[in-house]
Amino acid sequence: MTQFWRPIHELHQMLVDREISAVELTDAILAQVDAVDEKTRAYLLVTRDLAHRQARAADERLRAKRDLRPLTGIPMAIKDVLCIDGVAATAGSRILEGFVPPYSATVVERLAADGAVFLGKTNCDEFAMGSSNENSGYWPVHNPWQLDRVPGGSSGGSAAAVAAGEAVAALGSDTGGSIRQPAALTGIVGVKPTYGRVSRYGLIAFASSLDQVGPMTLDVRDAATVLQAIAGHDPRDSTSSPRPVPDYFEHLAEGVKGLRLGVPKEYFVDGMEPEVEAAIRAAIRLYERQGAHIEEVSLPNSRYALPAYYIIAPAEASSNLARYDGIRYGRQAGRGRNLIEEYQATRQDGFGNEVKRRIMLGTYALSSGYYDAYYLKAQKVRTLVVEDFARAFKKVDVLISATSPTVAFPLGAKTQDPLAMYLNDVLTLPGNLGNVCGISIPCGLANGLPIGLQVIAPGFREDLMLRVAYAFEAATEFHRRRAPLVSVGA
Amino acid sequence: MGTLPTPDSGLSSEEVEHVARLARLGLTADEVTRYRDQLRSILAYIDQLNRADTSKILATAHPLDERTVMRDDVPQPCLPVEAVLRNAPSTEDGYFKVKAIQE
Repeated sequence: MTQFWRPIHELHQMLVDREISAVELTDAILAQVDAVDEKTRAYLLVTRDLAHRQARAADERLRAKRDLRPLTGIPMAIKDVLCIDGVAATAGSRILEGFVPPYSATVVERLAADGAVFLGKTNCDEFAMGSSNENSGYWPVHNPWQLDRVPGGSSGGSAAAVAAGEAVAALGSDTGGSIRQPAALTGIVGVKPTYGRVSRYGLIAFASSLDQVGPMTLDVRDAATVLQAIAGHDPRDSTSSPRPVPDYFEHLAEGVKGLRLGVPKEYFVDGMEPEVEAAIRAAIRLYERQGAHIEEVSLPNSRYALPAYYIIAPAEASSNLARYDGIRYGRQAGRGRNLIEEYQATRQDGFGNEVKRRIMLGTYALSSGYYDAYYLKAQKVRTLVVEDFARAFKKVDVLISATSPTVAFPLGAKTQDPLAMYLNDVLTLPGNLGNVCGISIPCGLANGLPIGLQVIAPGFREDLMLRVAYAFEAATEFHRRRAPLVSVGA
Repeated sequence: MGTLPTPDSGLSSEEVEHVARLARLGLTADEVTRYRDQLRSILAYIDQLNRADTSKILATAHPLDERTVMRDDVPQPCLPVEAVLRNAPSTEDGYFKVKAIQE
């Protein structure tokens, strides 16, 4: 296993040089799934047959040296909120049990066209609502670094799969931090692209003005590779941007000399663990030594981002989740005496606690008499958050901060306190409201658990975000550290 | 500000039941109590939004600059009926089948 425990760019060369076939690589990664997934529980479904079909097709391309792409023959995991034609999709919810989508998400089609190999669907918090993966309707995921800890969420299965060598790379989705926070907690790289950069067609919707699909990978170059493959306009998603996608490798290695890096003073929040703060301060010093200008900036409305998010996201979710009525797909309770009772029973049985809580909160916030006080107010506060970022980006090129105020916490530690759980995303969700792009990269360990560094860039400046992240990665070894579980399983 | 009604954090069980009916969500009596208490504390936390002065601020409903995107109306193939109905728990003669709308 360890010989294939490498980033995409190295495996690509091995595949092209025919040192290894795509089928051999796929089998090696599937062997790792067999060895460790009973510990991590990262996958909801392993698609062995599909993976082998795709790997054989990739080998034909590799043999013929035809249509070779950086992802040809690379085994990947797909968060179970994305549809693959003919493969069961649950979004981590019991209400979608048995649902087999009749079409694929655009991002899935793009990866498939490039010759990527799909190993399976990864576990996640139900409908991507959560920060620990404990809201999965199936089972919780365990952090490969320490199995009694959460992997973060909601893309916890994708994160754990990459961190445990059960996939070379994965797709996640990020509505308030659901790619970046689990990436931080599992020591990998995760990107939330700017809203509109990546198509949402075929993504099971949570909050439609916030959701974005993005890469979860071993290093920054791999993140650039996967983003390059999935970014760009999609006629099937009218909210995807027609802006051209730049070559993310063109300026990747140009470093940070002369760039202005802003440090938001509000992002050293109460409750931040001292080891996390120390690692971020050390990263700032490293950037300074590399010739970046460091400047403290203020995002004064950050304190309102979390309460605004917990109106906007549940409001949009309560509307999006109205479609789960047991009529067209998923499971049906069957005990209602009429249509309304049937809806109520189906949704009572099918949704878990956190999803019900957010449907209730969102429905309340949108209901007659409360709309102005909550939903409209939250949308106005969202404007304040947008303006904070705009003001900061007049002074600096990017912002740097911690991704999460803490390292991975024990399973069960926050499940009884929804507000404590929501605070996990306090440093990531302003980026979704403000529509900037953000990346989390590994920057240290505290008691054997990974710490994430977040780089935030203005909307559609993923090129700059990746360049600043790569400058740190190229000068450090944190991205080469592997979860101890991996060597046990290998 | 001062013009907005103060959001009501003293949410009652009756209001919780009303919201659940709006959301077509069946709740047990225990759940009504639990969600009432949890929503009260979440709403109390959210009330701090009232400290933000938004008197001169427009709402952001959507993050994009692009507005009302139009495209040519070109017919495209759609999914066959069988593919659409395949996931439905109950169908009849090419339709989704539902329970009585009125008793």
